[in-house]
Amino acid sequence: MSAAFSLYQSRDSGLHRLNPLTKMTIALSGVATSLIVSGVWGNYLLFLLILVPLSAWGQITYSFLRAVFRVVWPFAISIFLIQGLFWTDGTPVIDLGPLSFKAEGLLFAVISVGRILLLVGSFTLMTMSTRPDALMIALNQRGLPHTLSYVVLSAIQIVPMFQAKANKIVEAQQSRGLETSGNLLKRVRALLPLVEPLLLGSILDIEERAIALEARGFGRRVKPTSLLILKDPVWEKILRWAIVALVLALLAVRIWLW
Amino acid sequence: MKIQLESVSFTYPGGVEALRDIDLFIKSGDAVAFIGENGAGKSTLAKQLNGLLKPSYGRVFVGDWQTSNRSVAQMAGRVGFVFQNPDEQLFARSVREEVAFGPRNLGREEYTISEDVEMALKQVGLDRAINRHPYDLPTPERKLLTIAAILAMRTPVVILDEPTMGQDAQGIARIGRIVSDLKAEGRTVITISHDIDFCAEHFPRVIVLSSGRIVADGVPSEVYYQESMLENAGVIPPQIARLSINLGLPSGALTDQEFIQIYKEHR
Ligand SMILES: Nc1ncnc2c1ncn2[C@@H]1O[C@H](COP(=O)(O)OP(=O)(O)OP(=O)(O)O)[C@@H](O)[C@H]1O
Ligand SMILES: [Mg+2]
Repeated sequence: MSAAFSLYQSRDSGLHRLNPLTKMTIALSGVATSLIVSGVWGNYLLFLLILVPLSAWGQITYSFLRAVFRVVWPFAISIFLIQGLFWTDGTPVIDLGPLSFKAEGLLFAVISVGRILLLVGSFTLMTMSTRPDALMIALNQRGLPHTLSYVVLSAIQIVPMFQAKANKIVEAQQSRGLETSGNLLKRVRALLPLVEPLLLGSILDIEERAIALEARGFGRRVKPTSLLILKDPVWEKILRWAIVALVLALLAVRIWLW
Repeated sequence: MKIQLESVSFTYPGGVEALRDIDLFIKSGDAVAFIGENGAGKSTLAKQLNGLLKPSYGRVFVGDWQTSNRSVAQMAGRVGFVFQNPDEQLFARSVREEVAFGPRNLGREEYTISEDVEMALKQVGLDRAINRHPYDLPTPERKLLTIAAILAMRTPVVILDEPTMGQDAQGIARIGRIVSDLKAEGRTVITISHDIDFCAEHFPRVIVLSSGRIVADGVPSEVYYQESMLENAGVIPPQIARLSINLGLPSGALTDQEFIQIYKEHR
């Protein structure tokens, strides 16, 4: 059950045992870095040299890469097509009849996709290696109000929940003769009417979940007992500050070089 | 339309072996119930029949079509599949549009479609709701609507996943009548259900699944009396079967009438 609602992959690994705050720090610094780094290949290098090895440490490399590519490729294709083909006044490099790919547009696309890759990768890595409830507890222990951490948690879970639901809806419609293969335009047009039940259904789900939580005493003003004991050794605290310092340094360098 | 499975095995991408070496022949016009505990593989087997899942090993035929060579949309012309959860199937803005969706996908003419829609809605008792929004209907009626949406497609095979779930006595009786109608029309009907009494009443053939294997296949009056097999498969027999067994009566009764008769003869 829980598997359907979260990307979390249970493993007995060092990455999994890291304090959730440390992993959140890594994720957030990944997001920040993806925006700071300006070179063409910088974000790809960071993805390959930091995130992929971390995923290997967490024994989730395959599912990590698969999840990241699933999210990134539609963006990648549309960015390459749109920026590559419709860059105004660019230098044509590949001719396609009336249209042509422009060098400047392709370069821009490579940089943008790199940013998305690092950004999505950072969050996926955290989500896949952190039990959702552990993250919530860690945030609460830092004084984040319950309701707020619930919101954070729901936001993280909503993507896989959506995916599972979307899958079922598409299956049901295919079974009624909806043709979902064929060219992209045809597919998009076929899937458009399915957005409504997806949203409606998901809102119903979320509402039901909220009611169920309330019925179980969620939102009472007492400090709840936690069943999960989270370790937070000194070296992890230092690591977190080191990561933050590194990102700030990167930012400083970037501004200085500007 | 006949259905045939030849040594079908299926493993989910995650590695769960959901079907193991299934051989099965369902003749045209048969009414078959798949029963078994949660996770036995019932839904996985049903999804093989309309091509939503293709076998990892072995072959599945519906009529002369092999599912692995067909798209699900193609299969939809032969196999109608009513899923368990109505909220994952309904999407149109009116009951009429909802039911017309399938026949339209099959490329039917507009005038036959409206006939099919009315006929299907009448059959499930929703003819007066034709202009309402599907989400304004209560859940049991939404389920009936999903059944109508499949009936209107007039497929030779109909699969019903948990049709009686959430229905009151009247609703169950109505679904029973729909099944009888389908049988009378010579269509092949397959259900997946935990409602053992419903299966016993309407489905002359029962297939018991356990851990991805077929562990029993026969007529209800025999299958429902195989106590230890059912226990191993995690299925509780119908009440009348349990009562007959406990009273030491000969096996075979499934309805009140049959039970009373056997009881009188052997008292
Ligand atoms: N999408 C999936 N991915 C991976 N494993 C799955 C998936 N769907 C089902 N399974 C697994 O396959 C096995 C058979 O599942 P299936 O849904 O066919 O059972 P079922 O008999 O229909 O059960 P239920 O009565 O609960 O509906 C189970 O072990 C289940 O956990
Ligand atoms: Mg099932």
